Amino acid sequence: MPCSKTAHLLTEYFDDSLSPLARTEVERHLQECEYCASELEELLGVQNVLQSWRDERVPHWDRITAVFRSAHRLESDLPGSWVWRWLPTAVSFFMLILLVFNTSVSSNGNGFAVSFGSSGATIDEEQLEQRLLSFAAAQQQQQERDLQALMARVAERMDNNNLRLMQAVMEQARELNADNFEQIYTYFEQQRQLDMETVQVSYQQLLDSDFETLRTMEQLANYVQFQGEPR
Amino acid sequence: MALYDEDEDLVAAALAGAIPAWEKLVRRYESRIYNYGLRLTGNSSDAMDLTQDVFLGVFRNLHRFRGDARFSSWIFRIAHNRAVDLNRRKKLLSGHPYSRDDGQNSDSRMADPDPGDEPDHRLAQAQQNGHIQQLLQQLPMDQRLIVELKIYQSMTFEEIAQAQEISENTAKTRFYTALRKLKSSLEENSNAMLQNRPSVNRVL
Repeated sequence: MPCSKTAHLLTEYFDDSLSPLARTEVERHLQECEYCASELEELLGVQNVLQSWRDERVPHWDRITAVFRSAHRLESDLPGSWVWRWLPTAVSFFMLILLVFNTSVSSNGNGFAVSFGSSGATIDEEQLEQRLLSFAAAQQQQQERDLQALMARVAERMDNNNLRLMQAVMEQARELNADNFEQIYTYFEQQRQLDMETVQVSYQQLLDSDFETLRTMEQLANYVQFQGEPR
Repeated sequence: MALYDEDEDLVAAALAGAIPAWEKLVRRYESRIYNYGLRLTGNSSDAMDLTQDVFLGVFRNLHRFRGDARFSSWIFRIAHNRAVDLNRRKKLLSGHPYSRDDGQNSDSRMADPDPGDEPDHRLAQAQQNGHIQQLLQQLPMDQRLIVELKIYQSMTFEEIAQAQEISENTAKTRFYTALRKLKSSLEENSNAMLQNRPSVNRVL
């Protein structure tokens, strides 16, 4: 037969902070009331089922990636970090502004002057052109002089070397007759000629490339001139 | 090493950037959080999502942990908030919190358990856990949470009342109501089994 006290009684039964006196009362009622006792039995059975849970193993997962992912977000929350985040963009933007407005910064004895557009730069371009041309001519002369000096030095050194080698060989082969000396001499002479030719070819190549550089500079000068004209 | 064993020391070391300390902390709590997730969500993929979410939240808020509460209760408070969020999201998506599809999901997990050293035992245990999960899914979220805290977290009603911001009496009543509901679904299950048995015999 259902008991009116069941709900209240069993709610109290599961209370962990029930006073000893109240607990004794609950126990006494449970001994007297069959309905409440069987209800409790079933609820304890449910509790048993729930308590039979055994922890399952955690599937594999990456604990460290989680850290790094959140660490990056944490870092970006730090004060002052926005400066470093926006600095590259700001610099790029500044550069772009300089480029778009054709800004030129010139310095003379009186300090710095900043000008926008190309109006003030025409004279500078002509000067630049003249400078480039004179610089190119000076460079060309200097290079030619250097090359000649170098050639002379190399030839002299090679002659000396050959002479020393000849002497060494002659000393070693004192007993050989004059014919052999003649042969050896012609052989060395041939070698010397060959060496000189090789050196000459390589210096010619060097010169060619230098002239190419000069031509490039001339082109650059022409370009500057061309740029300066329409303005 | 003894210095490194307290939760609070591990938290401090992790904050200073020591990854091993963090990993130790995660390993210490991941099983409890994951199993908590299994019971509350009823399926392993949601439980794993919850676990990762919780530890992400823990790490992000690690500098706010002051040590005035125990680390374990702090982490479970985060877990609880995430679980409630997850439940709300699920409810919005499906109209029902943890529909029966999730039950089937846990069934398939039971049928294909991790290949372990004791397959029979593990299978039986997984089936028992799956059974409990299915039972718990019958409960509304608030009651499920009380059962979780009372039975699995061994909290007193006073602690539960504080954590859930409800009165102690409400906590007690919810627990009793939950047990009664579980009792009747257990009875339904066994009745269904009794009814199914003769039909199986007839087929044989």
